[in-house]
Amino acid sequence: MSALLSCTDLTMRFGGLTALDKLNLDVAKGDVLGLVGPNGSGKTTFFNVVTGIYRPSAGTVVFDGQDVTSRTAQEIYRLGIARTFQRSRLCLDLTVFDNVMIGNHKNLDMGIVHNLLARGRFRAECKRNLERVKTLLHGLNPALVKRVGQPVSMLSMIDRRRVEVCRALVSDPVLLFLDEPSAGMTHDETKRLMDEILVLSDGGKNFTVVLIEHEMEVIRRVTNRCVVLNFGRKLCEGDYETVTADPFVKEAYLGTELD
Amino acid sequence: MRHNSSRDLVIPGPAGCALMALALLAWCILFLKAEEQIPILVYMISGCLLVLVAALSDLHKSISATIASNEAAWDGCMIGVMLLLMITFRDDHYTLLLLGTIMAYATAVLGLNVQLGFTGVINFSAASFFGIGCYTAAILGTAGWPSLLCLVMGGVMAALVGCLLLAPVLRTSGHYAALVTMAFALLFRVFLEVSDLLGGPQGVAVPPMQMFGVDFSQAMQLWGSECSFYLRYDIALLILLSLSFAFVRRLERSWIGLSMDAVRSDETASACFGINIAKWKIVAFTLGNLLSGLSGALYGMMLAYISPANYAFADSLIFLSILLLGGIGNSWGVILATVFVVVVPEKFQVIQEYRYLLYAALVLFMIIYRPMGLLPRKVRNYGRLA
Repeated sequence: MSALLSCTDLTMRFGGLTALDKLNLDVAKGDVLGLVGPNGSGKTTFFNVVTGIYRPSAGTVVFDGQDVTSRTAQEIYRLGIARTFQRSRLCLDLTVFDNVMIGNHKNLDMGIVHNLLARGRFRAECKRNLERVKTLLHGLNPALVKRVGQPVSMLSMIDRRRVEVCRALVSDPVLLFLDEPSAGMTHDETKRLMDEILVLSDGGKNFTVVLIEHEMEVIRRVTNRCVVLNFGRKLCEGDYETVTADPFVKEAYLGTELD
Repeated sequence: MRHNSSRDLVIPGPAGCALMALALLAWCILFLKAEEQIPILVYMISGCLLVLVAALSDLHKSISATIASNEAAWDGCMIGVMLLLMITFRDDHYTLLLLGTIMAYATAVLGLNVQLGFTGVINFSAASFFGIGCYTAAILGTAGWPSLLCLVMGGVMAALVGCLLLAPVLRTSGHYAALVTMAFALLFRVFLEVSDLLGGPQGVAVPPMQMFGVDFSQAMQLWGSECSFYLRYDIALLILLSLSFAFVRRLERSWIGLSMDAVRSDETASACFGINIAKWKIVAFTLGNLLSGLSGALYGMMLAYISPANYAFADSLIFLSILLLGGIGNSWGVILATVFVVVVPEKFQVIQEYRYLLYAALVLFMIIYRPMGLLPRKVRNYGRLA
């Protein structure tokens, strides 16, 4: 089976620091892949390299059969990789609708005539998108539908996360990167949010998920495969049981036993 | 209860808009007619008190709701107020020049609003681009180009010169981008002073606007009475301001405005959603300079004589203070603040000399106590979608 995303010898160096060290990582279509590892092990750097925020120092990234190494973030988004961020990157003073529409940039008509003069057609497009956003929001939290015109700053943490997920999903991505969705939320909220996302992905049929997560309970419940990173290298790979039983993983998290 | 009573106070719909516009018109006429310092002060304070009462009670909510739901009526009323003011003061050079200055500055600051308010591109040289418009009108007008073309070229030249600045502006951000534009503002003034072609420190004469066989520098007749020649310029400036205002507002309420907002809020997130950051910064910077240049060209023709002293760094700071005072991103706020910043020092001669000090204090006060400005920006409204 050919992988949806395939990284070969991916290396990212920041001066003397090697954040990713010859990482080989494959994501299959339909996966819910958990990416775990201690702080600073290169998980977010991996996201940033694949999504084009950083240009890798070496190695290749192949997405959907195309070499996308060192493409810009804009191009990679257009190919169908969308993401959320560890620290919320919503525009707080913009409405829920505005924020979600930022994620739909590739489907919006940016023409000057369309935007400034043909306002009737523009409003029709706007209305279609509003319906779509409402449907998406309804899938995550029906109460959010009524708040679609409110600034994001008025929402609770979990609702903001939901809006971020909506923003990533509105453009129908093939691959969704979730960077620590549990940050700043309770266990219960994380559980709910992940369940909602899994329902939307319909078991990987609609989109493939790569999830960075520190809460191992979340990893156990939702992922079908895990990759453990440490110092930018892959420590081990497999399902939850394999990974947690691995002596190297224990060592990375807990340190070595004293003799 | 309080909410109910205030709702009863305001007549909703277009009639409410017209009523508010009439009240505004009456106050403006009284204020502009006043010449002694004491009545001016009384009108000023009473106006401020009224605004304060509205702001502290629920009245401002009713007012803004009425305006928001009757936008076309309100726009028409405001244009009507301006026209009636012009007609009232039709033979008063001084007041008409004052009104013209307000409209020219407001147009330029609307351009700055697109740059800084929407896209977050800092520009400390707005007055320089305004000046480029003035000087283009002077040079081309003297060379015999048609006035309308001079006007358009004023905007185009400002946009083109802005393109020279784009390379350093796009490569820097924050304080450094600010420094680049400050350097440009300072260099521009020096350049004007040493350039023989542009008249050096003495400046140059700007040929008057000539359109449809009408010479704008000649006095005009209206209902048998002689009017100031400024009246024609004021009408032209009102048309330019109205068009610019409509343009900026539509820009804001479109995907273009949304993309600009995204670029301002978070460049990393924008890039991850396919938004071309450099492109929108270029578009915003160019459009903003175009508006500055257009209004500058028309204003230059109105002044008839321009000199480098009008386009100093301090004038750019005034444009910026107008934006900060009015509410970054809010076009109505820009107009309100322009009126305030232009009129107050003109009416209070005592302040005239200390006006920069006053603006500095005001801007500091606003940044500390009301960082969103007099009229904070509202959430985006794409128009009726129901």
